[in-house]
Amino acid sequence: MKQKFFIPLILFSLILTSCTGIKPTATPLTQIRLPVGYIPNVQFAPFYVAMEKGYYKEAGFDLQLDYSMETSGTTLVGAGELQFAVVSGEQVLLGREQGLPVVYAMAWYKDFPVAVVAKQEQGLRTPADLAGKRIGIPGLYGASYIGFRALLSAAGLQESDVTLDSIGFTQVEAIAADQVQAAVVYIANEPIQLRSKGIAVDVIPVADYAHLAANGLITNEKTIRENPDLVRRFVKATLRGIETARLNPDETYEICKKYVEALAQADEAVQKEVLVTSIAFWNTDPPGASDPQAWENMQEVLLEMGLLRAPLDLSKAYTNEFIK
Amino acid sequence: MDEASKIKKSVRFPNLLSAGFSLLLALLLWELLSWLGNIPAFMLPSPGAVWERFLRALQDGSLLRNSAVTLFEVLAGLTLGVSTAAGLGYRLAKSVRLERALSPYIVASQSIPVVAIAPLLIIWFGPGLLSKVLICALIVFFPVLINTIVGMRSVPDDLRDLMRSLGATRWQTFRYLEIHAALPVLLGGLRIGATLAVIGAVVGEFVASDRGLGFLVNVARGLYDTSLVFVAVLTLVAMALGLYGLVVLLETRLLSWQQPEEGNVIR
Repeated sequence: MKQKFFIPLILFSLILTSCTGIKPTATPLTQIRLPVGYIPNVQFAPFYVAMEKGYYKEAGFDLQLDYSMETSGTTLVGAGELQFAVVSGEQVLLGREQGLPVVYAMAWYKDFPVAVVAKQEQGLRTPADLAGKRIGIPGLYGASYIGFRALLSAAGLQESDVTLDSIGFTQVEAIAADQVQAAVVYIANEPIQLRSKGIAVDVIPVADYAHLAANGLITNEKTIRENPDLVRRFVKATLRGIETARLNPDETYEICKKYVEALAQADEAVQKEVLVTSIAFWNTDPPGASDPQAWENMQEVLLEMGLLRAPLDLSKAYTNEFIK
Repeated sequence: MDEASKIKKSVRFPNLLSAGFSLLLALLLWELLSWLGNIPAFMLPSPGAVWERFLRALQDGSLLRNSAVTLFEVLAGLTLGVSTAAGLGYRLAKSVRLERALSPYIVASQSIPVVAIAPLLIIWFGPGLLSKVLICALIVFFPVLINTIVGMRSVPDDLRDLMRSLGATRWQTFRYLEIHAALPVLLGGLRIGATLAVIGAVVGEFVASDRGLGFLVNVARGLYDTSLVFVAVLTLVAMALGLYGLVVLLETRLLSWQQPEEGNVIR
């Protein structure tokens, strides 16, 4: 009985030991958990591409994306629990106002991706047209509210000139059912969804009227102080991902299928449009560079809204040191 | 004051004292933690910071304004939920066949995660107060319904026989027997309902609202104003406790005919 298993047992243990093998002593990869603030989506293509092509591994990182909607990337980075997060520019200023030592280290989006969308029959083409209209908005806080206020400012309008309905993330339904005349949305999401339902829409991008600091990578003062090389390597790897994704949309889309569940079964035309619309925003020049004017403008909007009590030292809020 | 009430009062006093003492201890520990732990204010504000923020919110009217909105949603939701559940519960208590026929829907009303259905209710009923009141009513419905059915069915058969032998009409049986017999269980359901209604209102406001304490929490989070989050949350807790206390008071009044045993009313 024992002899029958002897040889397979030897073979099995040989296979087992050869599998574990003797690895050359390699520097362990730094684990990075990165909150991105949304569910898996083609918009995060740069990260998927960088992971797939090994850019992060080459730079010494093992990256894990955190899709929890409720995770406050800014708070976790500010508290020193995480080194990086992907957030919109205004979060940095609002966070620093409350003492969070967060620093914007790399600009991903050159402009603000918020917009107002309306059915074409409403005839809303410019911010001035919004006066007197009923507009749906996710809530009176966050990037959509701040972007919308910037848009109103550009047209010389006050919030009291419009009627705002806080409708959460039901903008598509609200527009389709004419419950609101227009809605504040993310430019690479709801307008495309509405068009795919056969509803012709007009889009008023905030970016056409206000140049504001938008989505990017943040870190904290401690990491910059104690490990600037870590920041530089992570920023560089991310910039490589953005560049590769930007220049090869078709290949990028295929890579996304591996990381975004159910993308393969989704409407390809719609999802590709989401990707292409997003890519249009990744045109920072030089890559990753924050524009001081965009930050001044953002601070101006926040001061006007009363969300900042006094101007902050913007030189501490963002840096272009790590993109060089 | 009779002997029983005198005893009740003297036993109640140390209860209040011990509750107050434990609250003070908790506050002290909180202050110590935020001070010694060197925890930044945006993570865990000290009791002092929360108090200061509370005063500010009170001063600019935002706290009272938003509390009033949530309170209205809670009371309206409770009224709707309790009246619907009690009415339906009475019917179902009388008819086992009807209860069986409706039981899938009844259980569904509890199993549907309110957080998931809230956006749907907002789409169907708009972002105003109505959707929040409906969410409140939905969350209150099941516990009150079950308690009504159980309460009504717990009426002793021999008492029913007694009413029948006295020639009581259905209304008289209801008025003089059923209500009183079912009241303890019913009010137990109301206790649960009162605190659940506060949760319901906040869930609705979290999803889509431009006023209320849930809305205030969202605004506070968006501004990294953790002290304000605490103020809003503690106000909600106070609201729920207040409503709970009112139901207990109601119980004391309505159930005064019961034997004055100390273990009767759970505080």
